[in-house]
Amino acid sequence: MENADIYAKITEIFHDVFDDDTLEVTPELTASDVDEWDSLSHIRLVLSIEKAFGLKFSAAEVGRLKNVGEFVDLIKSKL
Amino acid sequence: MADEPATPLAWADLSEGMTATVPFSVSAEDMRLFAQVSGDYNDLHVSDAFAQSKGFDSAVVYGGLLVAKVSNLIGMRLPGLNSVWTRIALDFRKPLYVGQEAEVTGTVASLSESTGMVGLKLAVRREGKVLAKGEAEVLLVKR
Repeated sequence: MENADIYAKITEIFHDVFDDDTLEVTPELTASDVDEWDSLSHIRLVLSIEKAFGLKFSAAEVGRLKNVGEFVDLIKSKL
Repeated sequence: MADEPATPLAWADLSEGMTATVPFSVSAEDMRLFAQVSGDYNDLHVSDAFAQSKGFDSAVVYGGLLVAKVSNLIGMRLPGLNSVWTRIALDFRKPLYVGQEAEVTGTVASLSESTGMVGLKLAVRREGKVLAKGEAEVLLVKR
């Protein structure tokens, strides 16, 4: 799957989780950039991404992620 | 106060396919209290005559009361003590009436190790027939 397709899919998820269609999902995006990005919405994000891509991540894999770009790299590594 | 404490299941105790069932029936007093707490005095739930005029046998048990029984299941049994309930979707398919015996069953459908989220399939049955069906997501708080 191409990067653009992955970003398109996760952008939809971010928009849904944060109820904000204007949110720009970039590789550098982190939780500190989004007001509503707390622990519960983080869980909802990871879960939605697992379901959307048919993947399972470990707690360790997710715990190491520093930004959206690293999450996309993780997704690509498992596809 | 509950008769028994909530079951303290840990993540390692959970497996896909695991189930828990809670039998219950709803009394007229339960209906009166629910009406008071919810503010829902819709005649479908408080008037036998009105419910019968709509094709039901008698006043229909609130869907919200069935959700309350799901709350019992999730909060006390599966996953129990360490649960934070985050989502429910429940289809109400057939009515339950006051005094009728029924049971709510939860089955672990998915486990997300990365998030601690437990996906449950839910069913409310009476004499083997499905009255309501749905799903829930429950976070198991590990610490």
